Amino acid sequence: METTIQQSGNQIIASFSGRLDTAAAIPAAEAVKPLLEAENSEIILDCTHLEYISSSGLRIFLSVRKEAAAHGSKVIVRNINADIRQVFMMTGFISLFEIQ
Amino acid sequence: MMDALDLHCQMILEEYREALPELESMRVQVLDTLREALERNGLVVTAIETRIKTEESLAGKLALKGAKYATLSDITDILGARIVTFYTDDVDRIASIAEQLFEIDWNNSVDKRRLHQLDSFGYNSLHYICRIPGHDMRFELQLRTTLQHAWAAINHDTGYKSGIEIPQEYMRRMNRLAGLLEMADDEFSRIRSEITDYRRRVQALVQNGKLDDVLLDGDTFRSYLQAKPLDRLNRRIAAINQAEIQDAPLIRYLRVLKELQCNTLGDVSRLIRTYEEDAYRLARHQLGNTDIDILSSAIGLQNICIVCILKTGGGKIGLERLFDALDGHNSQNAEIAEMTYQQAHNIELI
Repeated sequence: METTIQQSGNQIIASFSGRLDTAAAIPAAEAVKPLLEAENSEIILDCTHLEYISSSGLRIFLSVRKEAAAHGSKVIVRNINADIRQVFMMTGFISLFEIQ
Repeated sequence: MMDALDLHCQMILEEYREALPELESMRVQVLDTLREALERNGLVVTAIETRIKTEESLAGKLALKGAKYATLSDITDILGARIVTFYTDDVDRIASIAEQLFEIDWNNSVDKRRLHQLDSFGYNSLHYICRIPGHDMRFELQLRTTLQHAWAAINHDTGYKSGIEIPQEYMRRMNRLAGLLEMADDEFSRIRSEITDYRRRVQALVQNGKLDDVLLDGDTFRSYLQAKPLDRLNRRIAAINQAEIQDAPLIRYLRVLKELQCNTLGDVSRLIRTYEEDAYRLARHQLGNTDIDILSSAIGLQNICIVCILKTGGGKIGLERLFDALDGHNSQNAEIAEMTYQQAHNIELI
């Protein structure tokens, strides 16, 4: 599991790859910390190479969303695979995020 | 221009230079006081601004009518504050707040809105000459609506300082616009009052359970959701995996509910009652063999919509349309619709 952060102007892209399970959630939460402070930014959670997400992973996405709202930023979840979309659907998370 | 001023005016200018630090402190105090008062009273305005008259502008004023002023404190607009509101009603409300915050010099304050004759239109604004308790210097507070402000700013941009200088043809056209904007201001205020009344009526109907009398729209749906009609179902679904529930906005379901033929809140209430049990069964089937322990509060309504679509013959296409409506069109939605259809089939919902 790897998380990388890239910033370009007011857009920040966090790219996740591999399996975002309980064990991977701790380093991933640490990696996304810069996103939590971003003011008036567009935050992209790029899931092109994310294979799996657990509840712990969903909590990380949620914490980014909460802090983004508090700092005037917007979060977009991009390129989730069908399995992750199914998880978003059966948890009702599709109503929480803008998914592209 | 400053060199051309007589000794008396030069002395006022000197007084101005010495007073600048105090003026700046007053400016900050006025701005903070007004901002806090507006926030405390829940008033949202277009703009709140303050300024200290520049030395050049003061010199220009003294050159024109310096003899009128004995000292700097006779000039009431050295410090100016302006609040631009959305609605005319708010001008009066903020005026009454200003009366509590500052000492008003009533002899020099003027409500330009009331200066017009019955058949005339033009500059509209409320000007209060105020004093911060404990300060000698006065300041001018201008209150006007956004439309009045637009008119005043454009009128000022024409370069004419007073209505007398402007050629009559243009004055007539500007004043005609002032009348038009006055009508628009009144209409905006009326619309706001009517919307407020409508929301109160809807809340009363919802509280009295007269849901069939309330048409479904964004306002009424929000009022209905305040009664938390989906909490019981959400809690049952959460109990499947001892999950926590995160609040989610449900307004995007409004369009879906309308497509499901819900025209009143009564229809929504019946929809929930009719499909609540099957919505729970679907959630139990989907979540029961997972370790997912976090859900959004949209899960109950989402499953009710899924069940309703399937029970009323909407099939996979109907589900795909639902996911498109909730999540935006996506090629994966057909796949998710197929999967959900199979799950519903497995537990004999269809």
